[in-house]
This record gives sequence, C-alpha cells and structure tokens, in this order.
Amino acid sequence: MRLEPSETERELALAVRAWAEGLGGRIARGEREGTLPLDVVRELGTLGVLGMTIPERDGGLGLSTVAFALVLEELAAAWPSLAVGVSVNSGIVAGSIVRDGTDQQRAKWLPRLVDGSGLGAFALTEPSAGSDAASLKAIAMRDGDGWRLNGRKQFITSARYAPFFIVFARVSPPEPARPHAGVTAFIVPAETMGLTIGETESKMGLRASDTSGIMLEDAWVGPGAVLGDVGKGFALALAGLDGGRIGIAAQSIGIARAALERAIAYGRARSQFGRSILEFEGIRLAIAQARAEIDAARLLAHRASRLRDLGEPFTREASMAKLYASEMTQRVTYSALQLFGGYGYMSEYDIERYARDARATPLYEGTSEIQRMVIARSLVTAA
Amino acid sequence: MRFLVCLKQVPDSTVKVKVGAGGKAVATEGITWSMSPYDEYAVELALERKDADPTTVVSVVTVGSARGRDALRQALAMGCDDATLVNAPEDLPALDVAKALAAVAKEMKPDIVLCGKQASDDDQGLVGPAVAEFLGWPHVGMLTKAVSSGDAWELWREVEGGHEVWKAKPPVVGLVHKSDKEPRYPSLPGIMKAKKKEIPEKDLASLGVTASSPKIEVVAMELPPQRGGGKIFKLDGDAKAVAEQVANLLHTESKVL
Ligand SMILES: Cc1cc2nc3c(=O)[nH]c(=O)nc-3n(C[C@H](O)[C@H](O)[C@H](O)COP(=O)(O)OP(=O)(O)OC[C@H]3O[C@@H](n4cnc5c(N)ncnc54)[C@H](O)[C@@H]3O)c2cc1C
Repeated sequence: MRLEPSETERELALAVRAWAEGLGGRIARGEREGTLPLDVVRELGTLGVLGMTIPERDGGLGLSTVAFALVLEELAAAWPSLAVGVSVNSGIVAGSIVRDGTDQQRAKWLPRLVDGSGLGAFALTEPSAGSDAASLKAIAMRDGDGWRLNGRKQFITSARYAPFFIVFARVSPPEPARPHAGVTAFIVPAETMGLTIGETESKMGLRASDTSGIMLEDAWVGPGAVLGDVGKGFALALAGLDGGRIGIAAQSIGIARAALERAIAYGRARSQFGRSILEFEGIRLAIAQARAEIDAARLLAHRASRLRDLGEPFTREASMAKLYASEMTQRVTYSALQLFGGYGYMSEYDIERYARDARATPLYEGTSEIQRMVIARSLVTAA
Repeated sequence: MRFLVCLKQVPDSTVKVKVGAGGKAVATEGITWSMSPYDEYAVELALERKDADPTTVVSVVTVGSARGRDALRQALAMGCDDATLVNAPEDLPALDVAKALAAVAKEMKPDIVLCGKQASDDDQGLVGPAVAEFLGWPHVGMLTKAVSSGDAWELWREVEGGHEVWKAKPPVVGLVHKSDKEPRYPSLPGIMKAKKKEIPEKDLASLGVTASSPKIEVVAMELPPQRGGGKIFKLDGDAKAVAEQVANLLHTESKVL
C-alpha cells in the first residue's frame, strides 16, 4: 500500500495552503468574535474543498480520502476552528448521505453541503449520552406519513451555520442485549418547526467554531427524512465517525505542524546567553521529537485514508490515527509554546491559540479512552 | 470574444535571491517558480470577462523552456480555456519573445491580447508594447479593468490620483497593472480539469520567427551591500532635552546634519 500522497494529492493541498495563507486578519477577528465568517465558507465552496470527497456523479470531485486529509491538515494549520467545521460537513455529514442516502436525498442535500452557504451538522451527543452514545434518549414517533421528534442534543458543531442536521433519535426503546436498538438517523432541515438552537457554548479553544445544543420539541419531518434504514441509525453513526476520525487526526496534525513551524521561526529570531535558542540541545531535542511524532501521526492517518479509499475495513486504523494524532498534538503544541517562553503565553502570538484549540481533539468524535476501547475490542475479538 | 494572455514564469516572489556562480544571473537551482504577478492580474482580468459572459474564450501562451508548463497549468487551473507553450531558449531577447507572441496572436486571432505590464524578474516592460508594435495594433498601458461597450471596449487605466477610460475597437493589446481585484486562487476542480488538458507546443521556426534581435548582456550582478544594524539610544528628559539629544546624534552618529 502506498502511503506517500500522489503528486496530485499534494498539489491540491498546496492550492488550499495558498488560499489559507490569504485568510490573514479574518482568523483573529473570527476567534475574537466567536464566529466563522460565512464569506470564508463561501470561498471554500468556490475553491471546491467542500465537495472534495463526494463522488462525481453526485456533483462532487470524487477525490481521495488522502487528499481530503491533506487539505484538512492545511486548513487546521491555518485555522483549526474552520477545519473542524469542514471535517464535519464534508467528512461525516456528506459521507453519511453518500453512503446511505437515497437518490432523492443525495440530490437534495449534497448540494447544500458544497455550495458554501453553510456547514452541515451531526447531532448524536446528548446531555446524558456522550461516550455511551447508544443510550441516547431523543425519540421519534410516527406521525402521519412522517415522524415527530423530541429530545435534546448537546455540543453540536456548526449548529448555527447548518442548513440541516443529521439527528439520531430512537423509534423504539433499547433492548437488554442491544442498547442501540431503535436508533434511527433523520435529516432535519434547520428551518423545521420545533427545532431551536440553544446558546452558543463558550469554549476554551476553537472559539470561532460554533458549538451549541439543539432542542427538538414536536419537530415534524416528512417520510423522506429517514437516512438509511429505520432502526439502523447507530451503525450509520459509527460508520460516519470512522471517516470523521481521520478528519480529526488530520486536524490534529495540522495544528501540531503549525505550532512547530511557528516555534522554529520564533527560535531563530530569539537569542539568550548570546546565541540563538535553537542552538541549545534541550530545544533541539524537543523539536526533533515533535517532528518525528507529527510524521508518525500523518503516516497513521494516511494509512487509514488509503484503506478507506481501497474499500477495506479501516475502523481500527482510523481510531489509532485519531488517538495518536490527538494526543501527539497536546505534546507538540505545549512544547512549542514552551519554546516561546513567556511570549508563548501571550495572545499576541498564535501559539497559545493552537494549544487551546488542540485540546478539543482527544475529546470529540470519541475520547481517547473510547478510541482505545475500539482498538482493543478489534484485537480481542479477532483473536 | 477571445482573449490571449501572454505570461511569463519567474522566480517566486518568496524566493530569497542569490547571485549564481558566474556572477551574472540569479541562482535558479531548486527555487520555486510562479506566474509573474502582473500576468496573474492579466489572467484575472480576462477571467472576469469570462465570468460575465461564459462564451468568452481565454487562451494563455508563454515563450520559454518546458518548465513554463507549470505557469500555464496554473492559468488553466484558474479557469483559462487553453494554453500554448512556445519552446525557446531561456535567454531569448525580449524583442524575439514579442515576435513569437505576435506570431501566436496572428494564428489565434484574439480580440484582445493582454500582458502583464512588466515581468517581475527583469522588470523591463518591453514585451507588451513590442507585441502591439509587431501586430500593428494599438495598445493601452496600466490597464486595471476592461468593460465591453457595444463593438468597442472601455479600457480603464490607472493614472496619478485616478483613472482614465479609453475606448478601443478590437483588436487591441492591453498591458495590465495591479488592481483591487486580486487574482483568484486555482480551484480544486480547476486543478483537476487542468491536468486533463493537453498543452500543445510550438517552436520559433514553426512560427516563422528567427532569433535576431539585439541581446542584452548582463556584465555583473551583485547583491546590495549588507546594511549595518541599527542602534537604539535611550534618551531621558522632556521633549526639549530629547530633541536636543536627537539633533546632536544626527550630527555625531549618522552625520546627516
Ligand atoms: C468542541 C466539541 C465539539 C463537539 N461536536 C459534536 C458534534 O458535532 N456532534 C456530536 O454529536 N457531539 C459533539 N461533541 C460531543 C463529543 O463527541 C462528546 O463530548 C464526547 O463524545 C464525550 O462525551 P461526554 O462529553 O459526554 O463525556 P463522557 O462520556 O461523560 O466522558 C467523561 C470521561 O469518561 C471517560 N469514559 C467514558 N466512558 C468510558 C469507558 N467506557 N471507559 C473509559 N473511560 C470512559 C471519557 O473518555 C471521559 O474522559 C463535541 C464536543 C466538543 C468538546
């Protein structure tokens, strides 16, 4: 299996890097104001990033998961808040509709994910159902030829920018041996009566990315809203998360790379004891270690991506990439910040932002503990 | 409506310039090459017309080595329709380059030929006017905008403190200046499409051009002398006292007074 990206995959990533370098002051403003400017999302639509992995027959570019991982790395290196929104929109949400959507659903909803008018959202987590997502309580009841949804979702990325949500709700209660029984995926348009978006959460990092709760109070959706089969929603969620985890790994890698690049540039200009701090061995060891870990994480992410592109199972590999990359980015952003000394703690330099943003990566789309569970389960049951 | 944009591949503006071994040219080993910035504005100006009227065809051409294909691909990825490479030695004199471009223009019969007002490597600004001369077409310099108006074109050119609007009937040559409309980024679908396009090659002979123009010889090239580091003085006192000390330093230190 070829792990190195192809020339085309690299070229696409470089094109996105060139675009991202032009974001300039929009990043600091977005973070300060806690919003993703919609013109940035629109530009991503024009650039073709949002529909990268959607098949050509559905109006996308049909590009590889490896190319998408490289592009997400570039977006995260510039602006992690933007990268997570794109990862959810074009990774999990688009991926779920491509995989399980009917022709009508694909024709209706995929264009909304690529035109840059918003970013799609994936609503699985609830106040009482986080890691144990199968215990979710949102309920879908038959009503006429459609469904009536009730429940609360928590920490939903891009809720404010979403044209629609993939909402998981149960049509029947859990069964003793099958806690996920009855879980069903629904496509719920943002303008649905009975759907309200809660207050935006105030977060440690990723402040420009919207994270909000949503309330469903007798929200009615039509018969075309069920994505995949009734009662098979949990498998759909897990399949979506498999792909999503590659995206979060890529995000983690981009954050770490940007932090290391900034640290080296800063170190070059900073002298203490009469020499550049880059001449001190302690600092050299730190940057060498950081670079080795970044490359290792990228290889893990690209392996999972290639397996996905080849149509092979990749659940375990995606979990390994996500686990390692998200933990790696903690170490790398902190040691990069350390290299800045006291200046690293000041918001004048971006490095503190990267360190705060990085902290989300071992939490969402399955915590590190959950990734270890997934990996271990695959090892133990295979034996 | 058909545009022909002439473009040149030059060392990227981020390249740290070093003088090559012979002391007569910039070292080019391993550097990044890009489309010359004013040429990018020329491509953008043409593509904007294509956005407004999709029947517009935008062709691009470059004269030089095979490496120039990358600049042509960039233009295709930005949305241009076709590209032509005229194979020629790197050091072909500007007038011969202009002859070759004029010959391509004669074959393609565009309504408007656009060039950047100058290339960012040698900054001569010769090629554009020379192309117009060889074609016997009028040319308008410092172009920032082109708007079609009936069977003519309104050509906006930047002048001190404002702009002039000229009217020209095609065919015409425009030399494009930087404008507010930043050149677009190549899109991902654009890159994928550009990959599938053939870039035909021509050579000087097939265009009926013989390299015969006077050549400029660079006698020597060197980097400007390194600037000495600045000095920081800590001055105390009220404004008057500080002003006195500054005047004193300008006399004793920098010797400008
Ligand atoms: C910025 C951000 C954006 C998010 N975006 C989305 C989104 O778009 N859509 C969405 O549906 N959700 C989203 N989430 C929610 C996220 O997926 C959950 O926060 C995550 O799954 C963890 O759930 P929890 O917060 O309820 O923690 P809990 O599940 O309560 O976990 C608490 C702790 O217990 C550990 N733990 C739990 N179970 C086990 C176990 N069996 N073994 C060992 N340790 C265990 C966890 O690892 C963790 O350390 C987002 C979260 C954040 C922070």
